[in-house]
Amino acid sequence: MKIFAMIVSKELLSFLRSIGLVLVVLYSFTADVYIAGSGIQIKPRNVVVGYVDATGGGVSQKILSKLHQPEFRPPVMFLSQKALSDAIFNKEVMVGLVFDDDFEKNYRSGKKAQINLLLDATAASQSLTTLIYLQNIIIDFQSMNFPLVLKSHKLFNQNADNHSFIALTELLSVITLLIVILTAIVFVKEKEDGTWDIMLLTPVNPKIIILAKSFSQVLIVMAGVVLSLGFVIFGAFDVPLNGSFWAFMLLTFFYSISSAGIGLFVAAVSKNVMQVAQLSIIIMMPLIFLSGAWTPVYAMHPVFQTLSLFSPLRYYIEGTESIFFRGTEFIDLWPYFSGVLILGTLLYLYGFRKIGKLF
Amino acid sequence: MKLTTIKAYILKEFMELYRTRLIIMVYLMPSMIVLLFGYGIRMDVTHARILIIDNDQSKFSQMLTSKFEHTKYFNAKVLHVSEKEALRSIKQAKTDAVLIIPSSFEKRLLHGQKSEIGIFVDASFPTRATTIEGYIKGTVLDTASEVAQRGGLSAKGLITLNQRTLFNQAMRDEDAIVPGLIGLVLLVAPAILAALLIVKEKEEGTIFNFYASPLSKGEFLLAKLFPAFLLHSINIFILFLIAVYIFNVPFRGSFMLYWLSSELYILISLSIGMLISVITSRQIVAVVLTVIITIIPGFLYSGMLMPISSMVGESYIEAHLFPVMYYNHILYDTFLIGQGLGSKKIIMYLLILVGFAVVLFSAGTLLLKKEMK
Amino acid sequence: MSLLEVKNIRVSYKKRLGIDNASLEANSGEIIGFIGADGAGKSSLMHSIAGVIRFEGEVVYDGIAYHSPKEAEQVKPFIGLMPQGIGLVLYNTLSVGEHLEFFADIRNVKKDEKFQAYKEKLLHMAGLSAFIDREAGKLSGGMMQKLSLICTLLHRPKLLILDEPTTGVDPLSRLELWEILDSIRKEEGTVILVSTAYMQEASKMDKIFLFDEGEIIAQGTNKELIDSIRPYVYEEVTCKEECLSFNKRTYSLKPLHVNRAEPTLEGLFFVNALKKKKLLPQVVIAKRDKEIAIPPVVMQAYGITKRFGSFTANDHVDIELKRGEILGLLGANGAGKTTFIKMLLGLYPIDEGELTLLEKVIKSGDDRQTLKSKIGYVSQHFALYNDMTVRENLIYFANMHQIPLKTALNRIEQYANELGFKEYMDELPTALPLGVNQRFSIAAALLHEPLVLFLDEPTSGVDTIARAQFWEILKKLKEQWNISILITTHYMSEAEYCDRVLLLKQGKKIADDTIENFYKTHPDAKSFEDIFLTYYKDVE
Repeated sequence: MKIFAMIVSKELLSFLRSIGLVLVVLYSFTADVYIAGSGIQIKPRNVVVGYVDATGGGVSQKILSKLHQPEFRPPVMFLSQKALSDAIFNKEVMVGLVFDDDFEKNYRSGKKAQINLLLDATAASQSLTTLIYLQNIIIDFQSMNFPLVLKSHKLFNQNADNHSFIALTELLSVITLLIVILTAIVFVKEKEDGTWDIMLLTPVNPKIIILAKSFSQVLIVMAGVVLSLGFVIFGAFDVPLNGSFWAFMLLTFFYSISSAGIGLFVAAVSKNVMQVAQLSIIIMMPLIFLSGAWTPVYAMHPVFQTLSLFSPLRYYIEGTESIFFRGTEFIDLWPYFSGVLILGTLLYLYGFRKIGKLF
Repeated sequence: MKLTTIKAYILKEFMELYRTRLIIMVYLMPSMIVLLFGYGIRMDVTHARILIIDNDQSKFSQMLTSKFEHTKYFNAKVLHVSEKEALRSIKQAKTDAVLIIPSSFEKRLLHGQKSEIGIFVDASFPTRATTIEGYIKGTVLDTASEVAQRGGLSAKGLITLNQRTLFNQAMRDEDAIVPGLIGLVLLVAPAILAALLIVKEKEEGTIFNFYASPLSKGEFLLAKLFPAFLLHSINIFILFLIAVYIFNVPFRGSFMLYWLSSELYILISLSIGMLISVITSRQIVAVVLTVIITIIPGFLYSGMLMPISSMVGESYIEAHLFPVMYYNHILYDTFLIGQGLGSKKIIMYLLILVGFAVVLFSAGTLLLKKEMK
Repeated sequence: MSLLEVKNIRVSYKKRLGIDNASLEANSGEIIGFIGADGAGKSSLMHSIAGVIRFEGEVVYDGIAYHSPKEAEQVKPFIGLMPQGIGLVLYNTLSVGEHLEFFADIRNVKKDEKFQAYKEKLLHMAGLSAFIDREAGKLSGGMMQKLSLICTLLHRPKLLILDEPTTGVDPLSRLELWEILDSIRKEEGTVILVSTAYMQEASKMDKIFLFDEGEIIAQGTNKELIDSIRPYVYEEVTCKEECLSFNKRTYSLKPLHVNRAEPTLEGLFFVNALKKKKLLPQVVIAKRDKEIAIPPVVMQAYGITKRFGSFTANDHVDIELKRGEILGLLGANGAGKTTFIKMLLGLYPIDEGELTLLEKVIKSGDDRQTLKSKIGYVSQHFALYNDMTVRENLIYFANMHQIPLKTALNRIEQYANELGFKEYMDELPTALPLGVNQRFSIAAALLHEPLVLFLDEPTSGVDTIARAQFWEILKKLKEQWNISILITTHYMSEAEYCDRVLLLKQGKKIADDTIENFYKTHPDAKSFEDIFLTYYKDVE
């Protein structure tokens, strides 16, 4: 046990002394998470709307007046539909609204009234959300016409604030990548420097060395997580935490161990740091994509859905979302904990045996 | 120019790339990224799991539930559970939305009395929540207006949006994302390869062969960059095939324009890699630096996440400082629009890309030193 | 006027001085030798002359003067440079033939019949004719260096700059390399600048420059240089102060009352150290804390074999190590020395053979567990944690050996004093000279007071004086601790300090005897290198 603590503290010291690594870890846990959270905006924002109005105003202007900051910039008027579509072709305008001359007449006489909508759909994410926004505006505009009240609640995140979601997702990806790369580098560096041989010739059981070394990297990442939570997640983005903080930390700890297993595997098959980088990316990219970080698992292709059952990241991400946003009780978190634990144990044992065999 | 010399270098690069298996990475990485992102990112919501609690059990309420049951947007389940249980199901992430139809919904509606429909959406995934909410509201209102019109209850007409989505009628995510991914990949991958090819010689010491020989800097760079250029030129075609045949993205423009502007873009990317190789001397550092320098602007200013027209302030200026925006404009045009050289803007953007290539390449050539540090 | 004139060259790096105030002249057909330790400034001067580094001063080649790499471009067609490092300029995945084509092409050599004939001749000289299709990464160290040399010669340079072409190369290949150089300078009239770590090679040079700490400390012909220190060289005696002893000689500036001895070139470094008052700390080794009973035969192995795929790294090697014996394991790069040591230590599994270590038959890894506290190991390149100070490294190693902290701290203090690295205790290993790292690696291996010490190339790259001191440490350890030492080296001259020597060639043992017996059976041999060569040639 004393030896274990000794190795862990030595690894922490080594880590702190290698400025490059410290900078990468600090950058990833703070700036990177921040950039992702603040830079990636899926809600419409500052959308340029152009319109052609042949009705002479009235209802059309009332509708246009509902398009306001920050989602939309003040709508720009175009004289003809041709001018409007040219502007869309040149990507100066993203949405065009065309009010035909019979629009108002139809509306007032109880017929179906159409607004023609021209949408530049090349701006992937934003076109869709913009469309939904416009639809909602029009629905809200006429909902007083019906004896219906749609009482909508966006649970857990009333403003549908995207920053917190993306920042959190990015943090989870960072945890995954870093724990794999850090663990792999610690072992590969010893391989490169030849210090591993010296370690093996000491009476210390190699298993303790492997355990202690990977544990030390888990600690580094956990510290990074705390840092990121404090400064970025809670600090800059004010992400709500509806569940238990300790449940999250415990889940993160188990998850880090499972990823450390992947790191051990990577270290076992790589000769140098360069290969570690290549291999980690090739292994981790599909894992991150299959995890549901970008698209919920149930919306994926069935083959990917099955595959994602084997990704510990999937359970980790779902579990984390539940803890943070849904505030799920501890008892209902068991699927995530057991998923991470089972896959984690298997992965770690595999990596452990793989690297143990080498030496 | 000593052609034999350059030829010899080029031949050597190819043999090394082939024998060190690095060539696998040259082709595996770009395709993998496009496939993963292309399949992985879905903005559109389909099969959202909605739980409907029908407290009315009337004709109208059944009409409403069947609307939800017969659309690809929802997987509807009608259950007789309490509101509390329904919410718990959201907490367990088994349901995305809950719709509660109040009792005597039909009766009140027919009497013109207000009735309240409750909608609960899991907003853990905020964009999806907004989308799901919009779909639910739209569906409910649509049904309501049908009912109202049938009963002659409403004096005013229903405004609908007649959606004419330009360039991407079906609003397919693939059409919108895949071309942008090509722009990202062709920025990152050639830059990494170019940086590696030069830094590898530095790290292993074979760069001495260049230092000690009469070979000029220009010739050396040409010899180093040409293989990377050629290999990635093939990627232009591979990525095109993936986009058109795997993701079924339409191609409406001129292939020549796509091809030539892509070659130009690769040249820019290679020059970025070359500039990075000037300041680094270890392969791993070169790779990390290239990734940091290229990936973030490659994503942010690609137009995939946010159209350039929606940008304000500094991000608008920054977007114009990176080559991605110009190339992606041409790329989206060739895939989805097809204006081609008929558009003045495209000609201007092409010229800007030429400018990027010239400036970056000259900078790289000037900064590379034929001496040890 | 000389063909090459070098005037007052100075090269400085960010933190240290490369070379200062270096001048030399050379004429067509001359071989100019640079001798000195790592970091003494040889490479800096060579890089300046080759025009691949920025320098102050002037180089004039054939009337063309240059002061910077840029100006040097005009002479590059006439220069051939082979930088330091085995196979450094080679591409691992290209074959021998492809290398020749490539190097001819980048030098824009016309591939006519004359070139083909020259190429064949070079290949033949280098003994590579049979290996045209072999990839460079799969050649032995000696072959790589010969290939690098002929690649550098393809364009018939008039100024050939070779930075340690023979370091780490087996003696036979070294002889062959020198033969190639000799014929080239005669036939082509080439000026050859060559640096080396082997003093014996000095006799083949026309003019020698000795380098120390960024300075040229002496120059002249081999004979002139040796004569210059004649007055300070004596037969070995024990003397207390202001003198140094090494290799059966004692160097002193003050007259001693013993017979003078025939000086050697390495004596120049000792005399230089004496003149600069750079006296080495006296090595003292205290007795062990507790005497331990050691069996008379420490290690016995029969038929040890290691295979990597189809390649046999060690082929049925037998070895015996007795109590209090220094056993030298000699062989060229790639002869299987490191693999052999790693098998004995259990770092590689033994494919075949029987090993008994400290009277225990080794069958599995568990058998070694109890022995680990009795074995010390210093690996090639001194494997240390580069991000921890010397003191932290030592404390860490002591902890790994589960030595009580108090004892550990005492011992560390003691070794730091005895082995003379006390003033470096709080520095990082990367900031220290190789010689210091070497001594502190030994200390790390001694912390748990082992009975056997395995040393893998501990002296390569270390300067002459540090090497002398290192052997002094080993000798004292043997005397005081009765420890057994297995050491590998590629310096043939170091065989003289061993009690017994085992020669390896291509994984096979070709000789195993005491030093006295070797000399008895080879009465004509002037040095151990001669003996080594006869064995190497015989097996060929």
